[in-house]
Amino acid sequence: MKRVVITGMGVVSPLGGNVAEQAAALEAGRHGIRRMPDWATYKGLRSLIAAPAELKNEKAIPRQNRRSMGRMSIFAAQAAMEALLDARCEAGTLGGGRVGCVAGSTTASAITLSNVYETMLPERDFSQLQTMQFFQCLSHTVAMNLAQYLGLQGVLLSTNAACASGLQAIGTAFDLIRSGRQDAVFCGGAEELHPTVTGSFDMLMAASTEYNDRPDEASRPFDAARDGLVCGEGAGILLLEERDRALRRGAPVYAEVVGFHTCSGGSHISESHREGIARCMAGALEDAGCAPSDVDYVSAHATATRQGDGEEAAAIGALLGGRVPVSSLKGHLGHTLGASGAIELIAALAGLRKGVLFPTRNLTRVAEECSGLRHVTALEPTAARCLMKNSFAFGGINASLVCRL
Amino acid sequence: MTREEIVASINRVFEESFEIEPERLVPEANIFLDLELDSLDTVDLVVAIQKRFGVSIRDDERVRAIRTLNDVYAFIENIQKEQGA
Repeated sequence: MKRVVITGMGVVSPLGGNVAEQAAALEAGRHGIRRMPDWATYKGLRSLIAAPAELKNEKAIPRQNRRSMGRMSIFAAQAAMEALLDARCEAGTLGGGRVGCVAGSTTASAITLSNVYETMLPERDFSQLQTMQFFQCLSHTVAMNLAQYLGLQGVLLSTNAACASGLQAIGTAFDLIRSGRQDAVFCGGAEELHPTVTGSFDMLMAASTEYNDRPDEASRPFDAARDGLVCGEGAGILLLEERDRALRRGAPVYAEVVGFHTCSGGSHISESHREGIARCMAGALEDAGCAPSDVDYVSAHATATRQGDGEEAAAIGALLGGRVPVSSLKGHLGHTLGASGAIELIAALAGLRKGVLFPTRNLTRVAEECSGLRHVTALEPTAARCLMKNSFAFGGINASLVCRL
Repeated sequence: MTREEIVASINRVFEESFEIEPERLVPEANIFLDLELDSLDTVDLVVAIQKRFGVSIRDDERVRAIRTLNDVYAFIENIQKEQGA
């Protein structure tokens, strides 16, 4: 099996338009949660806060590439370009079939989907719709747009698995390279905000509704006063590369991906269960050839839902004990859904490279069901080198990744 | 609408929907070869024109004969007369 390293990273997130901006914001304790002014016009929408990213410089993407991109695909393209430049990829090396793309999102472009239905209905009239809206509404719109923008001719896969999309993309890229099928893969996830996206979680009683007038206190992973998730948007794209190839061309090596597992909880359509989560984390450690005691830090999924955080905390406690530092960045970033695994992995790695662990924001009183863990509640120095990243999605789609600096 | 108004309105569609610089919008410009629209763009051009002029042209055979901006202007002039828009 080949060894796989991360040679480039790019983000567009609620905390900034690139990796460095996001890391600086996390270090300063800033957050991206805002009251969304127009959302009150949606009847029955109780959660009126979100973590928006800024759309800017999109015209730097040629129209021919950009026309099929909805908002989240533009984020993904920008993040991919940052990763490409970061990795110092040479022009002309992306074709030929050995460089691929694996990316996903929860849904196709939510804004475009909504516009399409608002245009079509109630007359059921197709004649006003544009071809480019169709491309933005395809489930594989992120992967498709990235590949055509970068001119990639390798394996193209679309990992649409809700909150696990990004991490599944990275894990799949890892598998493709270590098996020798690809030399390098651009991978990650993207998502865009829309009231319908938050509304979906709101209907399922999973969104935060009590903090609309105090958005800075809203997203509270593991906290006793948490009341649900806050949706965010953005994109995280990493370049994973076969290690020898990376070293030969003098590419930067940020970390090595050493293990990945994804598995089904096999029980409930929306509830997380500790058993499935623990099984997934254990599977990733086994894949990495690591013992639980090797893990220096867990970048948790913890979205601030009442149910999910408790289950993840129980699983981490059972598998890794109360020694390992744990934090979730969703207090700062909100839950960027399909992008979350990638954005948060990139953030965690940036922290480790700076020698710090970013804390869980708004964790002022650990909930009873989340206790027993070494929660990071303030920025702290670290010599951590082995990181586990978790992402868990509706339908019991669990994913865990292990990296080493 | 006058011819001038039609020209200005059509040109705005090309500028806004296809990001084409105004100086390239000369009447003889071939929309495929000079303005670089492809087949997907022409579908969306039709939708944009329908919206802007309040006309129905999607299933009109004559759309297929359009090659230049002049052809677009003339087509809309005719349609406006026919549909009284």
